[in-house]
Amino acid sequence: MSAVVHAHPETGPVLGVADTGPVKNRSVLSEAGHRNQWWRFVLILAITAIVLVPIMVTVVLAFTPGPNSTSTGFTLENFGSVFSETLAATWLQNSLITTLSTVIVSVAVAAPAGYVLSRGRSKAVSGYSLLLFVMQSLPIITSVVPLFILFAGMGLVDNLMGLTIIYVGSTMTVATWMMAAYFDSIPISLEEASWIDGCSVFGSFTKVVLRNSLPGILSTAIFAFLLAWNDYLVAIVFLRSTEIFTLPMGVQSFFQQNQTDWTSVMALAVIMMLPPVIVFATLNKYFSVGGIGGSLAGR
Amino acid sequence: MSVTTAQNGLSRARRGVAPGGPGGPANRKSRLSAQTSRTFFWLLLPSVILLVLIHGYPLVYAGIQATHDGSLISTGNFVGADNFANVLGSDAFWKAARFTLMFTIVGVFGSWLVGLGLALLLRTKIPAGGTFKVLLLLPWVVPIVVSSTAWNWLVATPDSLIPSLFRNLGLGTPLFLADPTLAAVTVMVFKVWVSFPFMMMMISAALASVDTTVYEAASMDGATRWQQFSQITLPLIARSTYISWILMTIFCVNDFPTIYLLTGGGPVDATTSLVVLAYRSVFQDFQTGPGVAIAFLMTMTLVVISVLLYRQIRKSSVE
Amino acid sequence: MSTKSSIASSAFSRRGFLGFAAAAASVPLLAACGGGSASQGGGGGNGVIKFWDMPWATPAYNDAAKKLVDGYSPASGNLKASYQTIQWNNFYQTFSSAIASKTGPAVSTGGGFQAFQFEKQGQIAYADKVVDELKKNGQFDDFLPGVLEPFKSDKGYVAVPWQLDMRVFWYRKSLFEKAGVEVPKDWASLLEAGKALKNIGAFGFATGSGAGNNIGNHSMIMMMVNNGGGVFTKDGELDVMNDRNVEAIEFLLELVSNGIIDPASVSYTTDNLNAMWKNKKAAFGPYVLGVPERVGDTSGDIVVASPIAGPHGDKHGLVFPNNIMMYTNTPSQASSEAFLVHYMGQLKELWRQKLMNALPVFKSITELPEFASDPNNVKIVKEWQPIAKTFASQGTVLNDNLAVLDGGQALNQFTQTILTGKTDAKSALQAFESGLKSVIKK
Repeated sequence: MSAVVHAHPETGPVLGVADTGPVKNRSVLSEAGHRNQWWRFVLILAITAIVLVPIMVTVVLAFTPGPNSTSTGFTLENFGSVFSETLAATWLQNSLITTLSTVIVSVAVAAPAGYVLSRGRSKAVSGYSLLLFVMQSLPIITSVVPLFILFAGMGLVDNLMGLTIIYVGSTMTVATWMMAAYFDSIPISLEEASWIDGCSVFGSFTKVVLRNSLPGILSTAIFAFLLAWNDYLVAIVFLRSTEIFTLPMGVQSFFQQNQTDWTSVMALAVIMMLPPVIVFATLNKYFSVGGIGGSLAGR
Repeated sequence: MSVTTAQNGLSRARRGVAPGGPGGPANRKSRLSAQTSRTFFWLLLPSVILLVLIHGYPLVYAGIQATHDGSLISTGNFVGADNFANVLGSDAFWKAARFTLMFTIVGVFGSWLVGLGLALLLRTKIPAGGTFKVLLLLPWVVPIVVSSTAWNWLVATPDSLIPSLFRNLGLGTPLFLADPTLAAVTVMVFKVWVSFPFMMMMISAALASVDTTVYEAASMDGATRWQQFSQITLPLIARSTYISWILMTIFCVNDFPTIYLLTGGGPVDATTSLVVLAYRSVFQDFQTGPGVAIAFLMTMTLVVISVLLYRQIRKSSVE
Repeated sequence: MSTKSSIASSAFSRRGFLGFAAAAASVPLLAACGGGSASQGGGGGNGVIKFWDMPWATPAYNDAAKKLVDGYSPASGNLKASYQTIQWNNFYQTFSSAIASKTGPAVSTGGGFQAFQFEKQGQIAYADKVVDELKKNGQFDDFLPGVLEPFKSDKGYVAVPWQLDMRVFWYRKSLFEKAGVEVPKDWASLLEAGKALKNIGAFGFATGSGAGNNIGNHSMIMMMVNNGGGVFTKDGELDVMNDRNVEAIEFLLELVSNGIIDPASVSYTTDNLNAMWKNKKAAFGPYVLGVPERVGDTSGDIVVASPIAGPHGDKHGLVFPNNIMMYTNTPSQASSEAFLVHYMGQLKELWRQKLMNALPVFKSITELPEFASDPNNVKIVKEWQPIAKTFASQGTVLNDNLAVLDGGQALNQFTQTILTGKTDAKSALQAFESGLKSVIKK
C-alpha cells in the first residue's frame, strides 16, 4: 500500500502535482452528489460562523464609534484616527520590513542547512539536527533578558535589525526541519544527473534542488511570517522608540494603566490581520499540495 | 527527526539511483565527497552561528541563573542544585506540571481532531471551499492580545454572550473564568481554537498528497467509509500527524500568552502552567533562580517527550 | 530603515547564503546606520539625561510630558534630557535588561516599589541633594503631609514622589436611591446596604482579580489597613496573622457569602470591572481616581464616598506613592539632579491640562482650578489623602519586599481564594503568610 503514498512522483518536478492532485480528488468524490454538497456547505458555514464569533467581536468593534465619538453606527473613523493620531502607517511599514527580512533571511539560512540535514550521512549531521531541536526548547520569556544584554553590547537594541536577527534565530530551527523534510521528497537522482553534467554540489543545490522546492520554501516562509508578524514578547523588551515600533507594539501602546483604548486596539488588530490573510488567500493553492504539512509529510 | 531525515535521504538516494549505480570513475566520486563535506560545512555555518547566538547563549545564561541566587541584573552566589530541589519540592510546581500536561494533551489532540474533521470536510467539493479554508485560518492569524480579549468579552461576566445563552437555555449561568474547573476547560478550548487551523493546514496538505486511486480500489473491494478512513487515510497521514503532534506539543508547553492573557493563571492557580509559573516566579516574585530552574526542568521534559515521539516517526516511516 | 532592508535583501540575493553570516559579523558596523533612536549608549553615553516614563494616562499625557522634557534648557554645564515612553507590559523586564546592559535610563518613573528593588541591587542614586534643592526653592514645604517620608531610607532618599495613586471607595448614587439605603459609614452599614443592593441586582463591593487586574489584591490590603491591620509591622516585620487582618478577611468572606461581591469577580479584568460600573451593576467599591471618565459615565452619578470605619472605629485608605528615581548609571549625576529638580517644578502643567488620573503631591496643584473644580478630587484630597497608608501598612518606610507583595503570586492567590469564598479567614491568611515568607528577603 505504501507504494502509492507518495504524491510527488519521484521523477517529475514537484510543482507539477499541484495541478493534478485536487482535480483527482474531485473526480472521485463527486459521485456524492449535489445534495450532499449543499449539506456539507451548510455544515461548514455553521462551523465557520461559530469559530469566527470572537473575530467578529473584534471586527465589529473596529467599526464601532469610540467612546469620545459623536457618530453612530458603522464608521471608519477608528481607522482614520489610528492612522492620523498614531504612527500606525510607520508601524505597518516596520512590521513589513521586519517580517519580510525575517522570512527572507530565515529561508536563506534554513534552506542550505535543511539541505545538509536531508543529504548528509554523518553522525555529526544527525546530531546537529537533534541539537537544533533541544536548544530551541527554552521558552522565549527566559531568553529575552540575556539576549537583550548580548545585543545591547552590539548596539542592536531599539533597532529593527536586532529584532530581525532574533526572529530569524527563533524561526530558523523549525524552518530548517521543514526544509529538510521537503528536500527528502526530492529524488537525489536529479542532483546526481547534474553532478555528472559537471555541476558542483553547491551548484546543484541552487540550480536543481531549490528550483524544485517552491512549495517547501513557501510553507517555511509562511511559518516565519506568522511568528515574526505576531510577536510582542521580544519586541516589548527590545524596542523603545515609537517610530520603530512594530504593529504588535503599536497595539501595546493603547494599554494604559488600568485602562485600554479598545476601539483603537481593534482597528489596529484588523489592520494587522489583513497581510497574513492576503498572503494565505494568494498562496492558498500551494497549500493544497505543498503546505507546511506537505513539506513535512508529503514524501 | 535527525536520524530519520538523514536516513530517509539516504534510502531515497539509494532508491533513486538505478541498480548498479550511476557509475562514473571512482576518483570523481571521492573528489565529489571531499567537495561535499566542504560545501556542507559552509551551507550549515549560518545556522550554526544563529543557533549559538540566539539559543546557545541564553541556554548557558539560564543555566547560570538556575544555579545561582541572583537577580536579573546580578548573578549572585552559586547555590548548586538548591533551586532545582526547592522547585521540585514545591506543590505549585507539580500542580502546574499537571495542568501543563492536561493543557498539552487537550491542546494537541483537540486541535488535531478538529483540524482533521475540517480538513476531511474541506477536501470534498464544497461551494466556496477555498474561502472557508482561508476564513478558518483566522484564529491562528489574529494577534493573541486581541483574541484573548474577545474571548474574555464572550465569557467573563454573567451577562456576557455565552453565559446568557446558557441561561436562556435553562442551563444555569456558568462562570467560565471564575470557576477553577471551567476556567481550565475554557483555556483549553481557547487553545484548541487558536491551534486547530495549523492542524487543519498540516492535514489538508498531507491529504492532498494522497493518491485518490487508492480509494477507488478500496471501494471496489467493498470497504466501508470507516474502513477507508481508518485503514487508508489515517495510515497515510500518520507521518504528518506525528510531526504535527511534536510541533504542537512544543507550542503548547511553551505557550505563555494564551494562558496569561486570558486568565493570568487563575483563579487560584487553576490554569497556571509551568511557563506561567516560571514567568510569575521570575518577574513577579523576583525569584530569578527558582523561576529559571522551572523553565529548565520544563525544557528537559519537553525534549524527552519529543525524542520519544521522534521514535514513533521513525517507526512509522519504515516502509 | 531602508538601509536595513536593502542589507537584508542583498544578503539574500548575493548568491551565497553565507551573506547573512557576513552581515551578522559586521553587525556592530551596521547598527550605526540603523535605528536612529535616542536610546543608544548607556544611561547617557552620548551626553543626554535619559528620562523614561510610563503610560500613566492617555497618550496625550505622554505627549505633554515629552514637551516638558524637551523644553528643558539646563543651566550651563548640565546636560539636556530626552524623553522615552516605556510600555507597562513586562516593564520590569524592560528596566532590568536595560540596566544590566548599561543602556538604562538616568532618571525614570516606573513601578511603585521599583526604586527600592533597584536600590537593593546598587543601581539607584540617592535623591538627598534633590530634596535639599526642593527645600531651597520652597517646593519641599508644598508637599502634602506624609508624602515624602516613605522614601527616606537609612542611606538616603531612594526616590522622590510625584503623584499619588489612591484607592478610594466610589459609589453610584442612583443605585442607592433605588435600593432605598444610605451610603455606608462603616462596615456594618456596608453589609446592610450590600444586602439591599443585591435585591435590585447590584453589587455592594465591586472588585476584580482577573488577568492583569490588581484591584482585587488592593481591596484585600485596603480592608486590612482600614481596620488598623496590614501585613507589616512598624519595623517592617511580616505580620499577617494579626486579629485586625483576621477580622477584615472574615468580613470580606461575609460579603462573598452574602453575594455582595460578584461571584465572578475573581476573573474580572479591569475592563470587566469598568463595564460593571458602567452597566450599573457596581454600586460601591474600591477603585482608582477618575472612575467616571474611565468608565464613560460623567453624568455625576458615580461619586467618591467618604472613608468608612472598621468595627473598632479605624478609618484608613490605601495609597501608592508613585515616584521618580535616579540611577547610578548616568553621564552626570549633577545633571540628573538638576533635571529632576526642574521636572518637579513642571508637574503642575500636567494637572493644569487635566491629563492625570492621580493626586498630585503638591498642595499648590490641588488648589489649581482645573483640579479643584472636580468635587471628587477635592473630597479625595480632604478626606482620603490624610488617612491613606501605603502597602507598608503600619510601617512608614517603603522597601523592596513590597514589590513582591504587590505583584507577586502570594497575594494574588490569597485574593482569589477569598473571592471564590471557599475558605475560612485563618487558613487563607496562613497560606498567604507562608507564601510570602518563601519569597520575601530578610
